[in-house]
Amino acid sequence: MIKEIKLPEIADNVDTAVVLEVLVSVGDKIEKDDSLAEMESDKATFDMPAEESGTVKEIKVKDGDEVKVGQVMFTIDTSADEEKKEVAKEKEVEEDKKEKPEKEEEKPEKEKSEEKEGKEEDKAEKDQPEEKETGKKEKREEEESGDEKTEQKEVTPEKEDTEKPAAEVPAPPSVRRLAREIGINIRKVPGTGPESRITIDDVKAFAKKQMEERSSPGIADDYELPDFSKWGKVRREKMANIRKITAKAMTESWQTIPHVFQFDKADVTNLEEFRKKYSKHLEKEGGKLTLTAMLVKLTAEALKAFPRFNASLDIKNEEVIYKEYIHIGVAVDTERGLLVPVIRDADKKPVTQLSVELGELADKARKKKIMPDELQGGNFAISNLGGIGGTSFTPIVYRPNVAILGVSRSQMEPVYIDGEFRPRMMLPLSLSYDHRIIDGADGARFLRWLCEAMENPMLTMF
Amino acid sequence: MDKKQLIVMGAGPGGYAAAFQAANLGLDVTLIDPKPDPGGVCLFHGCIPSKALLHLAKVKKEAVLAEEWGLTFTDAKIDLEKVRSWKKSVVKQLTGGLGQLAKSRKVKYLRGTAILTGKNKLEFIPSEDGKQDTKNKKQEIEFEKLIIATGASSAPLPDIEFDDERVMNSKTALELKDIPKKLLVVGAGYIGLEMSVIYKALGSEITIVEFTPDILPGVDQDLKDVFKKERKDLMDNIMFNTKATSVDKKGKRLNVKLETKDGETREETFNKMLIAIGSTPNTRGIGLEEAGIETDKKGFIRVDLVRRTNIENIYAIGDVTGQPMLAHKASHEGRVAAEHIAGNKTAYEPKAIPAVVFTDPEIAWTGLTENEAKEQDIKYEVAKFPWAASGRALTLGVKNGLTKLLIDPENGRILGAAMAGTDAGSLISEATLAVEMGAVARDLELTIHPHPTLSETIMEAAEVFYGHATHIHKRKRNKRTD
Repeated sequence: MIKEIKLPEIADNVDTAVVLEVLVSVGDKIEKDDSLAEMESDKATFDMPAEESGTVKEIKVKDGDEVKVGQVMFTIDTSADEEKKEVAKEKEVEEDKKEKPEKEEEKPEKEKSEEKEGKEEDKAEKDQPEEKETGKKEKREEEESGDEKTEQKEVTPEKEDTEKPAAEVPAPPSVRRLAREIGINIRKVPGTGPESRITIDDVKAFAKKQMEERSSPGIADDYELPDFSKWGKVRREKMANIRKITAKAMTESWQTIPHVFQFDKADVTNLEEFRKKYSKHLEKEGGKLTLTAMLVKLTAEALKAFPRFNASLDIKNEEVIYKEYIHIGVAVDTERGLLVPVIRDADKKPVTQLSVELGELADKARKKKIMPDELQGGNFAISNLGGIGGTSFTPIVYRPNVAILGVSRSQMEPVYIDGEFRPRMMLPLSLSYDHRIIDGADGARFLRWLCEAMENPMLTMF
Repeated sequence: MDKKQLIVMGAGPGGYAAAFQAANLGLDVTLIDPKPDPGGVCLFHGCIPSKALLHLAKVKKEAVLAEEWGLTFTDAKIDLEKVRSWKKSVVKQLTGGLGQLAKSRKVKYLRGTAILTGKNKLEFIPSEDGKQDTKNKKQEIEFEKLIIATGASSAPLPDIEFDDERVMNSKTALELKDIPKKLLVVGAGYIGLEMSVIYKALGSEITIVEFTPDILPGVDQDLKDVFKKERKDLMDNIMFNTKATSVDKKGKRLNVKLETKDGETREETFNKMLIAIGSTPNTRGIGLEEAGIETDKKGFIRVDLVRRTNIENIYAIGDVTGQPMLAHKASHEGRVAAEHIAGNKTAYEPKAIPAVVFTDPEIAWTGLTENEAKEQDIKYEVAKFPWAASGRALTLGVKNGLTKLLIDPENGRILGAAMAGTDAGSLISEATLAVEMGAVARDLELTIHPHPTLSETIMEAAEVFYGHATHIHKRKRNKRTD
């Protein structure tokens, strides 16, 4: 029995993923859930699990390939396993039958569209035989001179075209010249003039659109870097997808959200005592009672008390979207960069469960096993840098959230209580919020509420 | 040894345009040419002197025609010495002006020829009009960039060499040594016809032989027909499908053997003969091999869109890069090459290159021609306006004349245009602009043209396309409503 392993649905709006590394070879014996490949999508890095045990028969992708959802990546020969699982096999065949008609309906359409694309490409090539040649030449050059060339490519988006005249395009000479000068392929510019004549404005509009599209990853800007090699040896490395996504998201957040930062300190002396006391007990159940877990729990309560902090802003429609669920994202520091897995319904789960879930999610994120949908849907985020240190910091609100809580390292401080200084464990908290929806007084109230809840968790019951 | 930033080899319309543009853009330019001033064949021995003489021919023809309108002159007398000096003064004024322009742009002008000795160096041989300058020695000059603009020369016939004063090419014919009683013109291309018109006006008896079945190979039939109707005087004495195979130069007269395609031969005697069968690029003996520059089978240098040869720092422009071998094409290429060398993003990508035959009547075309459209299977529609319906043509005494537009039937876009008749060479520019601008016939139709001028024929041809020209009435098969 040959089983096809296809790229599964990863998350909403994610249609493709890139193969970072194929982890198996043809002939490898694999167990169910073994990783076949390391994948990277727009939203996350994850492993591609084997749905069945068996032997790898074919590998249809290679490192760097972009794979569409539903595309066959591997075939696995499950016959060796089948003898063991006769019953299961029958069931499988039945399932196969059920699935088949559906699959076949899908297939022709896909093939058709692929064929069509192929034809169009062919045609384009025929129309411009020179283009093909230049392309080849460029490729060769690139291969020859490696990094230098790729670097150049980033600076000039379209390589200067010295092979094809653009005389067949309905555009005046001045317009064709402008397009050349600013590196626009005039063949791609839609003309708005009479009988689709291309005007100067068309070229400008196209260039602007292209700039916007190109800069939309949030990482491209006009800043011209100096030549660092003047001062010493340098090394260039491609940005990982996660890095690019973070760069884009943070730039957009910082540019659109008017941030306000609020700082406070919570007296967590009692909470810490409680935590230490019950931590061991929890470890037996497979978790650890962490400060973060308790923070998630209390924050969930705070969000209930201050629903605006759990909301999103719909500026286009001038509406505030209140959410009747409490999903909280918790930032995890991984080798590849920052990931924010989301705890669903944090308000409905006991601290013990939150603790276990947090541990699992963090582990998955670090081992690249987290699936993109586990990183989506958060209403509020917590970033705890206390493990590393620091007295305070100002995290950036992650859209479409409206606030984020930053946690720094707690330390023993003398606190003046009832006429004397007492040693208290104080936890510095930072709250960043979107002033378009939350005012200063609310920000202060929210953070104070949280601090007081940590000092006396019983308060949350009122 | 000092290294030149940019050397331009050849100072014809391509070379000097390139040199001047490069200098405008701040480059240090050296221009090498054997002539005393920039200008090249075009100004010294081609376009300019021939146009001066063609003007003379036209004045004479009109003076004769004027008799019909009631203005009679006495018979024209030709003072050949004066004609020559007038022609010379025109050339001198123009080329001298170019010399001044070169100086004012600080273009260094070296008089002599150059032979490439490598990718970055050439040997400069000082000379004056073909004679080696013995006072100054040969020298090797290094360069960063080079533009080859060495132009073209008249192609000889296989068995007839230019070793006798009586066997002329266009250059020597324009020197006007004398007016031969009987002149044989070999080749009915544009040079052959222009020279025939000149010598006819000067009083020679012209015989034309043409190897193909018609005049002006490649030109649309309806344009040729205008010329044929107007120039019966030349057409009466033309032999098609005929070539000159050999010439006996021993006697006082040239004894020329003519052979038709069917193999019939006959001999005729002439005082002089002119060979105008085309041009070959001057790409031999200039050291292309030393630099490793590729040429095609016909000897044209291969260039890319910015006119760069296969050698990164060497460019080539003008006649050496291929057809059409026209001065204005060379100038445009020259500017493109200079701009690219100066670091600008540029390209040689004309939609239309106008071509003009300066005979009387003139013939001009631009962009797509009907012959090309048929060959390349391009859909087109022709809108014609005969000059018989033009008020201006009638006031000029012009009976035959034609303006036509080649139009994309789908969207009305002007793909090409052609004119035959007085001043066609000036009229063609509007159509060239229309093609370059991607204009549609509606644009030409809706543009007010001055009355009464020949330019109105362009507007009216556009009207014809939409089926409602003011000055001709013709039902269109499919009337356009758009």
